[in-house]
Amino acid sequence: MKKQMPPRVLLHVWLRLLLLQCSWNFKQLQGGGWFYAMAPVLRRLYGQKEMQQIAREHLGYFNTHPYLAPAVVGAAIRLEIERSQGRAPSVTMKDFKEMVAAPYAAVGDALFWGGLRPLSASIALLLAAKGLVVAPLVFLIIFNALPLWFRIYGFLNGYEQGLQSITFLQRHKLPDLAIRTKETAIVLLGGLAAFLVCELFNYQHTPLWSGLLLLPLILGCGYLARRGFSTLLIVFLVSSLTIIGCYFAEDVVVWLP
Amino acid sequence: MSFADLFIGAVVALCCGLDRTAALQVMISRPIVAAPLAAWLLGDVAVGLQLGLMVELLWQARLPVGAVVPPDDTQIAVGATVLTLGMGAVLEQNSLAFTLLCLLIAIPFGKFGQFFDRRARLYHGRKPSLSAKMLENQQYRAMEHLHLRGLLSFGLASLLTYLVIVAGGLVLVPMLASTLLPALEAAGHWLRLLLPLVGIATILGTINVNRSLTLFGASFGMAFLLMWLV
Repeated sequence: MKKQMPPRVLLHVWLRLLLLQCSWNFKQLQGGGWFYAMAPVLRRLYGQKEMQQIAREHLGYFNTHPYLAPAVVGAAIRLEIERSQGRAPSVTMKDFKEMVAAPYAAVGDALFWGGLRPLSASIALLLAAKGLVVAPLVFLIIFNALPLWFRIYGFLNGYEQGLQSITFLQRHKLPDLAIRTKETAIVLLGGLAAFLVCELFNYQHTPLWSGLLLLPLILGCGYLARRGFSTLLIVFLVSSLTIIGCYFAEDVVVWLP
Repeated sequence: MSFADLFIGAVVALCCGLDRTAALQVMISRPIVAAPLAAWLLGDVAVGLQLGLMVELLWQARLPVGAVVPPDDTQIAVGATVLTLGMGAVLEQNSLAFTLLCLLIAIPFGKFGQFFDRRARLYHGRKPSLSAKMLENQQYRAMEHLHLRGLLSFGLASLLTYLVIVAGGLVLVPMLASTLLPALEAAGHWLRLLLPLVGIATILGTINVNRSLTLFGASFGMAFLLMWLV
């Protein structure tokens, strides 16, 4: 029968994972946070003398996506429980961290930062453009639902499954989900761009078809971003040209028939 | 600008700044949340929504991956909100042009956020060797406290960025207001449109998705057509 960790200790570890990146540094990245999160479990399983040897294995480099870190830590708790029962794990803790952290980080970055964040933002910005004060709340709810699920479910799944939990990414098809989330984000951003353009052109009583002329501008800025131009530079380029353009527009209008 | 305005802004800057990296990461640090939150506490949530709308997408494409530290759009949003509402009351300005002036002044100061954040992370670089020493002495609690003390350095980095943005604004806004406000009055509505579009463009330019231009073009065209016809 599997030895279980008291729920209070698991909750303690989970809450500590919310502070995983407190001591983020360029040498060990989230390494300090890993030990901080695991400490209640290690204290529970080992005496003062054994703890020193075990804790040494938990110090060192660690880096993954903060929303998927609970899945890794959950599995590490199971490995520690097995080790404390005298069952030698098939991988060392260091190897396990290295094996799991990088794929989780890659998928997490693509899914949460690259896909879900612009997706939630585009919905919230549509509401903000209409002046609805619920826009920030909508953003928080849409964005946080999935990460919260992964933080809780990933942790419990890792804890129950141990080493077997490394199939987590494949089982839930997270790489596919990341791509689909990004594609949805792009579609929504297209809708948001069209909405903002129509809103301004209606407000200014400008013929709506001329809004299509902004598409080359968007594509041009996108090209500059792809070529490595900084956002700051693009913002000031566009702002300066707009201000100069509007400043001289009245003079140009005078000369038009 | 009153001390109360500055203080409220500092509290929001601190809480949202910690959310960026050090704690929780529930995204109250995003400009679309941080700016309306600060503006709501300062009494005019609509200004915060405007600023959130304009800043939110600008650096979305800069992902906080590995050792990458993106520009601090949180403090830009909070700083610009405090400047707009705090200095707006003093200078009797509440127009979109004034909001844009404060934002355009705050944006370059966001670079300081990168600098301070990097300094905090470099300062944490001594923690691994300290931890190792504490481990040899079996001071496990001290190791945990050492980790938690990182909150102080990240918090300080956020506050310093906020202060630099507000101080820069306090000096530059009165200096540039008379020169730039007339031009911004004319360009205000265009810039309110173009800043989110620049954000969308940078996301499109850097997102790693096949057929991203096709998807964007199709959805833009379809939504545009619908709004044109309806």
